[in-house]
Amino acid sequence: MTSANHNAVYNAPIPPMLIPPSRWLRAACPLLLAVLLLTTSAARATDWAGPEEQLAHKIAAVTGPGAVAFDVTNRSSLTKADSDDIRRGLLVQLAALGLRFVNAEQAAATIQVTLSEDLRNYIWVAEIHQGTNQPAVVMTSLPRPDAPIPMREPAGLTLRKTLLWAQPDRILDAAVLEGSPAHLVVLDPKQVALYRFQDSRWQPEQSLPITHVRPWPSDLRGRLVLRHDHLFDAYLPGVFCRSSATAPLALNCYPSDDPWPLGSDQFSLSAFFTPARNYFTGALAPGLGKQTTAPAFYSAALLPREKYTLGLFAAVDGQLHLLDGITDRAAGRLGWGSDIAGVKSNCGSGWQVLATRSGDGPNDAVRAYEFPDREPVAVSQPVDFAGSITALWAESAGGGAVAVSHNLETGRYEAFRLTITCGQ
Amino acid sequence: MRRFALPLLAASSLLLVVAASAATRPHYGGILRVALRAAPASLDPADPNQPGSLARSNISRLMFDTLVTLDNRGRLHPSVATSWEAEPGNQRWHVYLRRGLSFHDGSAVTSDAVAASLRAANPTWKIFPLGDAVVIECDAPDPNLPAELALSRNGIAKRDGKLLGTGPFAVADWQPGKKLTLTARDDYWGGRPFVDSIVIEMGKSFRDQMISLDLGKADLIEVAPEQAHRAAMENRSVQSSAPLELMALVFTRDRQSAEEGRLRQALVLSIDRAAMNTVLLQGGGEPAGGLLPNWMSGYAFLFTTDVNLPQARQVRGEVRQASPWTLGYDPADPVARVVAERVALNARDAGLSLQLSGSNSADLRLVRVPLVSLDPRVALASLATALGLPQPKFPGDSGDSLYAAETALLDSQRVIPLLHVRVAAGIGPTVRNWTASADGIWPLQDVWLSAEKP
Repeated sequence: MTSANHNAVYNAPIPPMLIPPSRWLRAACPLLLAVLLLTTSAARATDWAGPEEQLAHKIAAVTGPGAVAFDVTNRSSLTKADSDDIRRGLLVQLAALGLRFVNAEQAAATIQVTLSEDLRNYIWVAEIHQGTNQPAVVMTSLPRPDAPIPMREPAGLTLRKTLLWAQPDRILDAAVLEGSPAHLVVLDPKQVALYRFQDSRWQPEQSLPITHVRPWPSDLRGRLVLRHDHLFDAYLPGVFCRSSATAPLALNCYPSDDPWPLGSDQFSLSAFFTPARNYFTGALAPGLGKQTTAPAFYSAALLPREKYTLGLFAAVDGQLHLLDGITDRAAGRLGWGSDIAGVKSNCGSGWQVLATRSGDGPNDAVRAYEFPDREPVAVSQPVDFAGSITALWAESAGGGAVAVSHNLETGRYEAFRLTITCGQ
Repeated sequence: MRRFALPLLAASSLLLVVAASAATRPHYGGILRVALRAAPASLDPADPNQPGSLARSNISRLMFDTLVTLDNRGRLHPSVATSWEAEPGNQRWHVYLRRGLSFHDGSAVTSDAVAASLRAANPTWKIFPLGDAVVIECDAPDPNLPAELALSRNGIAKRDGKLLGTGPFAVADWQPGKKLTLTARDDYWGGRPFVDSIVIEMGKSFRDQMISLDLGKADLIEVAPEQAHRAAMENRSVQSSAPLELMALVFTRDRQSAEEGRLRQALVLSIDRAAMNTVLLQGGGEPAGGLLPNWMSGYAFLFTTDVNLPQARQVRGEVRQASPWTLGYDPADPVARVVAERVALNARDAGLSLQLSGSNSADLRLVRVPLVSLDPRVALASLATALGLPQPKFPGDSGDSLYAAETALLDSQRVIPLLHVRVAAGIGPTVRNWTASADGIWPLQDVWLSAEKP
């Protein structure tokens, strides 16, 4: 018996540290299940029990009882609350059929449930992965209530973040240079670093130190702007740096109060940055229509309109100011943070504003908005970051933005590219 | 109670009148000028020699009513038929006709005429009149028959020398492939259309259509999907549909060996659909891994659209010898040409050789097929017919059975979906009450023309 056990091949053993909690969970499982049942049955606004039971039976018919990894994704018009509700309901139904929920590494099967929909129905799809077999697919549907459906492009857009680079030192801005190979430029307080994309990762290519006479202010900010006649310019408080055009690159930095470009390349609007602070003075060059000044602001987003450009300024006074070339209107406190950026997409009205969330919580989020009139309308779900956002700049080409967050868990600064795709 | 009901009714009617007068009421009159790229040689909705297109459906629905219609969620509604029922087994259906309808020449719509019309479009059905109804017997159980009756090819037409319909517009002048002039029917059973007439210029390139719109010579045009975003940015009014035209590669024959199956798999893995959509179509569609778009099936996300070049090369490497394939496309379609070129380029990266050809005898063809129905089963069956694939089998009416049927079509390796493309229309400044429908059909009978531009 013993030798048989020794010769048998099993899954990787569960790490010892996991045993006490899992034992505790197993002991507490009936209690938890009862609590879950009570809370779900009491709180449910819509009764999803029928389709949950149906889908759970279809899943269990494939997996049988045992340890599974389970996840739910919502691709439908269901709210997050409904989605969470359905997830809980499915967990209860599956547990009643003998399924236990574990990490993917410990699972005999992985179940990915997607809440989707067609024109008339909600479609709940379960993909069941077992070993190396082709995944089994089971689904159930239930009628969807009447509601206007998007006939044109869906109103909801998806904001995606892609990690570009992470490092211990503060990142002020980053930019991707498309090409073969692609290059990544990272601006930090000490240098501009150039990386080459090779072997599926960014490889260091060159480091260009930034020289400056005056000390940097607290909450240092800086911006990279890609250029056509040379590679890039770097704007820092009281300092301007210009790269050469060809490799090996050189960087020429000198004291300067020149205005920083606002928005993407297609706007020829700049603003003066306060050298010893972290905001723009409000002086615009050459101006927005007939307006040459805005309230002092942290960031701006520019949105082209039929006959003018609408400028959104996240002002130092905490309000969002809308300048249309003639008037300055305070939109009030919208719950936005200090960083906003305008992004051109092929979705919705074509242009969106990315805005950070205000508040004192440890984790920030960015969300896309549109201004169909003069009030913002959220058009994406918020994208969460594992820390505070320290920079948000529109890319030079305007098709995306770069956000830098300070990851509280790792302590590293992470630069992400934010892009918008059509649909949910 | 009854004594009080009338004053209340009068008061509520007055409120309705007041409320209605606050908004601009629709104007009757005017000529709606439409430009189209298609140039059909025939108006007959059942003509099998005419390629299926949304433009053809749009024209057909102006003249030819169908027995039933589908709303924007694919639900059935009565039209020329008032009701329908199936005998047990869903193979034999009774369809009851609306009374008092007439063709454009004033002749009555009879069950004989309806049966004759349906026979022309569906040679395999047995159809016979039975009082005010027609009885349709399919060659196999067909629970989706009512939705099939909503297809434009099943528009009710009288073919006694002259082609006549029961729709809201009648033909005033027809120059095949060039120009169609329609006049509104005052006696249309569904209510007279707002515009007096519609003039449709055919065979116009997208560029010429745009110029006509800009010069005020057309009120309604087609906009190429890759141009839709730009046209909107240039301050034109552009309405885009949901992605509803399938662009796909179709092999003209079944795979002949396991090796050929692996080569086809390598081709599937090599295609960069996202780049095609972003670069070639300027976001005018969506990458397609399945035949039906997700908004219609709810499960299309299960079919991957990702390019996987390493795996494509690996699969290609499992086959020692591979003859070059010829890829046919419509040379008159500029988008088809660039997509075909991109497919050939992607294939080359995987070690496959594709030679572009304008010939109809190519090994595989790049095709564009519209989704002709908002019923997913009917849409899938129609796609299969248009692509030359076997008819899908639906063992039940569940989502699982639809998924299984579509998966079986894809597993045959006869078709490789590339993109679902939006259909866009450019709308002139005087056009009012335009409501885009999910299936891309133009609701011209509801449109009216304002006297002034906004």
